[in-house]
Amino acid sequence: MIDWGPLVLTLKLAVVTTILLLIVSVPMAYWLANTKKRIKPIIETLVSMPLVLPPTVLGFYLLIVFSPSNAFGGWLDEQIGLRLIFSFEGLVFGSMIYSLPFMVHPIQSGLSNLPNSLQEASAILGKSKITTLIKVLLRNIKPSILTGIVLSFAHTIGEFGVVLMIGGNMPGQTKVASIAIYDEVEALNYGAAHVYSGVLFTVAFCILLLVYLVNGGFLKRFWK
Amino acid sequence: MSVKTILSFIILITISFSSCRQIPKDALTIATAANMQFVIQDLMTSFSEQTGIDCNLVVSSSGILTAQMSEGAAYDVLLSADMKYPQQLFKQGLTLDTPVVYAFGKLVLWTMLELDELSPEVLIDQNIKFIAMANPKTAPYGRAASETIQQLGIQATIEKKLVYGESISQTNQFITSKSADIGFTAKSVVLAPVVAGKGHWIEIDPAYYRPIEQGIVLLKANPDKFSKAQKFKEFLFSDAGKNILNKFGYSTKS
Repeated sequence: MIDWGPLVLTLKLAVVTTILLLIVSVPMAYWLANTKKRIKPIIETLVSMPLVLPPTVLGFYLLIVFSPSNAFGGWLDEQIGLRLIFSFEGLVFGSMIYSLPFMVHPIQSGLSNLPNSLQEASAILGKSKITTLIKVLLRNIKPSILTGIVLSFAHTIGEFGVVLMIGGNMPGQTKVASIAIYDEVEALNYGAAHVYSGVLFTVAFCILLLVYLVNGGFLKRFWK
Repeated sequence: MSVKTILSFIILITISFSSCRQIPKDALTIATAANMQFVIQDLMTSFSEQTGIDCNLVVSSSGILTAQMSEGAAYDVLLSADMKYPQQLFKQGLTLDTPVVYAFGKLVLWTMLELDELSPEVLIDQNIKFIAMANPKTAPYGRAASETIQQLGIQATIEKKLVYGESISQTNQFITSKSADIGFTAKSVVLAPVVAGKGHWIEIDPAYYRPIEQGIVLLKANPDKFSKAQKFKEFLFSDAGKNILNKFGYSTKS
């Protein structure tokens, strides 16, 4: 019988990661789209690093930095009770860093492409920057936000390297579907590996198809 | 510089590099389980000196290697951490000979921490937050660790502290990086020159777990290397081979 735990855990990880990432990325993308500070290229580079670096690099350093025997990891553990290795929280943290560019990039380019007149008009009408961002700018870049959400979600589902390095394969905590597939292949249980892989394939296909349909305007045309 | 010049540079560099890393085509490819990764270096050096045969090494977990070979990976020798995977390949008709046990592995408990007393009982200590072991489903040393924990009757107490490496190598990584406070690994690892003297270890009483029978099997993939593979097997069972295995903490049949 197939254990559905890893699939449920993968979905949970993807949902939590995407929501937190959205909250973090909107201000970051807004800042990047508007700032003229000299540090901007550095921040942009750092945000993009997970695209280039193998996930194992990230996993390796997370493992070392957040180890409870390390000064920083120990402090986190004792003072805040947060343990970022071998735990679900750790996977969320790792996934957020790993998927950061997938959320920030679309939102940032969406914001950069908006005409300045939108922001200016709102300012003349006496609206604050935050109100402008929420009520005007974000409403005009819905496709970019959707792309960011979906890519981060899908990328987190497909994550393997970071989870393998810092997860510890604990059932219900860190044993996500990608790890379960690796395990089952190794144990020569190809049947179970096929089931997990099939589910992931279907989910990924549907999600991406949805994005292309929405962003391509197919749905609107279809409903009209 | 034009695009053409840059392109030709890139091509030139690629070609010159690719010619540097020539692996002799007639080298014997040995696929080995992660627990053997240290001892195999000594075995290979000594074997090559004795016979003049070059060897390539592929290290992974026995399960992954077996999956690769079932799908046509052209390895010549498999040194597995157990008998299950060599048997599986034998049943699939991919092997030259029947699998045999070449060594028995020993399980140890290893830590980088300075503990007052190192014994299996320390696992239930509250200060021990994470205990690393290899995945019992796929790694023989994980299976042995799991049996030991059950024999000690502390399974329920320490269940939440257990973290699983995908192979013995990853388990070692958890232990040496101190991400896990303590862990179960192979004796061959703690005796390896690279880690010798790091941390503290004790051997687990072999009565706690079923013997870790490590199997060798020769593969059919490359017919021109059969005799070389056979020579490697003979070397492994010779006194020279056994001495190396014993030096790394494996026991062998006399």
